[in-house]
Amino acid sequence: MKRDHQHHLFQEHKTMMTKEKEEEEDGNGMDELLAVLGYQVRSSEMAEVAQKLEQLEVMMSNVQEDDISNLATETVHYNPSELYSWLDSMLSDLNPPSNADYDLKAIPGDAILNQFQIDSSSSSSNKRLKCSSSDSMTVATRNGVADTTAESTRAVVLVDSQENGVRLVHSLLACAEAVQKENLTLAEALVKQIGFLAVSQVGAMRKVATYFAEALARRIYHLSPSRSPIDHSLSDTLQMHFYETCPYLKFAHFTANQAILEAFQGKKRVHVIDFSMSQGLQWPALMQALALRPEGPPIFRLTGIGPPAPDNFDYLHEVGCKLAHLAEAIHVEFEYRGFVANTLADLDASMLELRPSEIESVAINSVFELHKLLGRPGAIDKVLGVVNQIKPEIFTVVEQESNHNSPVFLDRFTESLHYYSTLFDSLEGAPSGQDKVMSEVYLGKQICNVVACDGPDRVERHETLSQWRNRFGSAGFSAASIGSNAFKQASMLLAVFNGGEGYQVEESDGCLMLGWHTRPLIATSAWKLSTNEMVAL
Amino acid sequence: MAGGNEVNLNECKRIVPLNTWVLISNFKLAYNILRRPDGSFNRDLAEFLDRKVPANSFPVDGVFSFDHVDSSTNLLTRIYQPSSLFDHAPHGTVDLTRPLSTSEIVPVLIFFHGGSFTHSSANSAIYDTFCRRLVSICGVVVVSVDYRRSPEHRYPCAYDDGWNALKWVKSRIWLQSGEDSNVYVYLAGDSSGGNIAHNVAVRATKEGVKVLGNILLHPMFGGQERTQSEKSLDGKYFVTIQDRDWYWRAYLPEGEDRDHPACNPFGPRGQSLKEVNFPKSLVVVAGLDLVQDWQLAYVDGLKKTGHQVNLLYLKQATIGFYFLPNNDYFHCLMDELNKFVHSIEDSTRSKSSPLLLTP
Repeated sequence: MKRDHQHHLFQEHKTMMTKEKEEEEDGNGMDELLAVLGYQVRSSEMAEVAQKLEQLEVMMSNVQEDDISNLATETVHYNPSELYSWLDSMLSDLNPPSNADYDLKAIPGDAILNQFQIDSSSSSSNKRLKCSSSDSMTVATRNGVADTTAESTRAVVLVDSQENGVRLVHSLLACAEAVQKENLTLAEALVKQIGFLAVSQVGAMRKVATYFAEALARRIYHLSPSRSPIDHSLSDTLQMHFYETCPYLKFAHFTANQAILEAFQGKKRVHVIDFSMSQGLQWPALMQALALRPEGPPIFRLTGIGPPAPDNFDYLHEVGCKLAHLAEAIHVEFEYRGFVANTLADLDASMLELRPSEIESVAINSVFELHKLLGRPGAIDKVLGVVNQIKPEIFTVVEQESNHNSPVFLDRFTESLHYYSTLFDSLEGAPSGQDKVMSEVYLGKQICNVVACDGPDRVERHETLSQWRNRFGSAGFSAASIGSNAFKQASMLLAVFNGGEGYQVEESDGCLMLGWHTRPLIATSAWKLSTNEMVAL
Repeated sequence: MAGGNEVNLNECKRIVPLNTWVLISNFKLAYNILRRPDGSFNRDLAEFLDRKVPANSFPVDGVFSFDHVDSSTNLLTRIYQPSSLFDHAPHGTVDLTRPLSTSEIVPVLIFFHGGSFTHSSANSAIYDTFCRRLVSICGVVVVSVDYRRSPEHRYPCAYDDGWNALKWVKSRIWLQSGEDSNVYVYLAGDSSGGNIAHNVAVRATKEGVKVLGNILLHPMFGGQERTQSEKSLDGKYFVTIQDRDWYWRAYLPEGEDRDHPACNPFGPRGQSLKEVNFPKSLVVVAGLDLVQDWQLAYVDGLKKTGHQVNLLYLKQATIGFYFLPNNDYFHCLMDELNKFVHSIEDSTRSKSSPLLLTP
C-alpha cells in the first residue's frame, strides 16, 4: 500500500517535472516560477533585470558605505515584487539625476504624534518620491486578461490551543449548512446546541460564537434587524469606540493620509472629498501634516459626505465646525461643505462645485464605505464613474480584506466566521472597558448584517483587494504604490497597541495590509486614473 | 578587481538558469542593503521587502495549509497537509479532532527555514512554496516553524524555539498516525534551519524524545579556520566569507568566535555524540557552496561516532537550488528525500555504511 503511494507520488512529480519545464510563463508573459515566489518579472525582460542586478552589484562595490546605508534609510522603496522598477529606482538613487529632491516629512498629526516619537532618520531631508513607472502598465496588462473567477483562498489562523474551539466552529458550520439547505428544524436544534457550547468557551471564541449564533437565529426565525435611522448615530458612536480600542481605523486613516499627502506634493489648493465622513476622525492628522509642509500649507478644502441622521440633525455641519476651529489654530485656510446622501450613488460630480484641476487638486477618500454599494445593481459603477469625472489626483480606498459577498450563504458564513474570529482575537489584548465592549458590539452588528440580512438590507458586502483591483482596473484606474516609509511608520503606530504584538503590516503589490498574525484583515490601496488605458495589450 | 568580478558574475550566470540567478542575486542585493556594518539589522525594511503569502485551507495542487500562533511568543507555525488524507472533511475547514491516520504512518517533517538565523519567516513565499512541494512530492505533513531571529535574539534562542516546536508537535493528537498513534517526526532545515535541526536533535536525544531522522539542506556551519572551499569559492556563487562572518557575529553570543559549538559542533569545543542514540541523517551539500568543507566535516564527525549519515553531494549546485524546480538537482533532492522519509515504513532497511550519492 505504501509502496504504491510512493510510486504514485513519484510518477506525479515526474509529470510535474516535464510540465514545469514547458510552461514557465503565465498568461501575461510573467515568469511563473518567480511569480509564485512573489516576484513579477516578464520572461522577455529577464535578461535586462539580470543586467540591472549586475550593474547594482558593481556600483555597490564602488560606492561609499554611506550611499549603501542611504539605500536602506533614505530611499523610499515601492513595490518590491516589480523587480524591474524596484532595481531601476535604486540605480537612479545611486546615480541621482539633477532633478529637485522633494522633502517628505513623516506625518506628525497630533492624534499620532503624542503617542510615539518620530524616528529621526525618517524626518531628515532628501527623500525622493518614486511612483513605479511600470505600475500602470502592469496593472493594465493583468486586467486585460479578464479575471472573472475569484479563486477562493482562506487563511485560517489558530491561536494557542484552540482545538476546543474547533468543535464549536463545526457546529456553527453545520447549522449554517442546514440553513442553506432550508432544513430549519435541524438548524433550530443546532443553534440551541451552539448556545450551550458557546457558554463553555472563553474569550474571543465565546463572543464570536454568540454573535454568529444570534445572527443565525435571526435568519432562522426571520427576524431581520431593522434599519432605522437611529442606527446611524449609534453606528458613529460605536465606531469611535472601535477607533480607540484597536489600530484598524487608525491604520486606515494613516496610510490613506500618507498617499494623499504624497499626491498633494507641490499643490497650492487641495480638495479632499470624503465618502466616509462620519465624525471626521481622519482629517486632523492630515491637516496638521499639511500645516507643517516646508513650503507652507495649501488652501485646504474638505467635502464630507454621509447619510442622513435621525431628526435630520446636521452632524456634518458640526464636524465641519470642529475642523474649522482646528484649521484656524494651525493656520490652514479651510473651506468646508457637508453633503447628506442616502447612498453615494445619489452623487453627481456637478453637485460638488469642483474647481478646474489646474487650480485645485482633488483627493477622494473612502474608508469601509464602497462595499455598501454592492447590494444595489449599478451603484458601484455609477460611483466609480463619478470618481472618473472628478479626475482626482488620488483615490484612496480602505476595505475589509475578506470576501463576505458570495451569493452562496454557506460560503460567506464560513469566510466571515474565520474573519471575525481573527478580528475578535486581536481585541482580546485590549484593556477591558467600555471601549472594548462597544467595539465588540460594533463588529457584532456587522456579523448580524452579513449573516441575517439579504438583498439591499445586506450592506456589509466586503470583498477582497484582489476583487477590488479587478473592479478598479476595469473602471480605468491604476494603482499608485504605497511605499516603505508608510510601511515603517504604520508599523511604529502599531507599537502603541499592546506593544504591537500580533499585528502585522504587509506590503502587497503596492498596497498595505494590516492583519492579526498572518491573516490580513484590512487593505489600503491608492488609485489614480490610468493615463493610457490601452497600454499593455 | 572589477575585471575579476565580471568573470565571476558571468560564470555564475552560466551555471544556473537565468531566473534562478535573478532570484538569488536579488536576495543577495537586498541582504547587502539590510545588513549594517555595525552588526545591526534593518528589520523594518526587511519585513517590507520580504514577499509573504497567507496560508490557504483550500487545497491547491493537493496541498492545504493553516497557521498556528502561540500567543505567548507570537511565533508562527504553518502546517501543510496533503488533502488526500481527508476525503470527508469539508474543504476550507480544519479538523483538529482526529489523527492523520489510524492505519498508516504519515511522517511529520518539522521544517526550520533558512536565512542565516536572520532572514525570512515560515510565511515567506520561498519557504511556503518549498514546503508545499515537499508535501506534494513526498506525501508527508510539514510543520514549518518560526524562531526568534538574530541579531535581536542570539544563541540559544533559535534552538530553544526549535525544541519547543518539537515538543508541541509531539503532543498534537491531530499529528498522530499509524496503529500506535504516535507522531512520527523528522527534523529538517536549510542553511541555519539545518543547524537548528541538528541542535534540536541533540537535545531530543538527551531528553529521550524520538526523532526518526534529520535532513540538513546545505546546513550552516563554520569555524575559525578558513577552509579551502571558503577561500576558493569566496564571492563566486552569491555568497562571501564576509557575509557569513556577519551572520555568525549576529547569532553567536557577543565576543564569541566561530569555534563556538553552535557554529562548529565537531570542532575543538564541540560535543561528542559517541554512544548517543542520534537519529540517522541526510546531509545535502551543494558543490558550489563555500561552506561545504564545514558541512563535509560535519558528515565526517557523525560517521566517526558511528552514526548513519547519507551524504548527497550535488557537484554543480549553488545555494538555493531547491527554490526553483527548474534543475535536475531539485528533482534529485526530492527523490532522496522521498526515500529517506518513507524508510520508516520499510522495515527491511538495514543499517549500512554511509552512502555517498552523487548524480
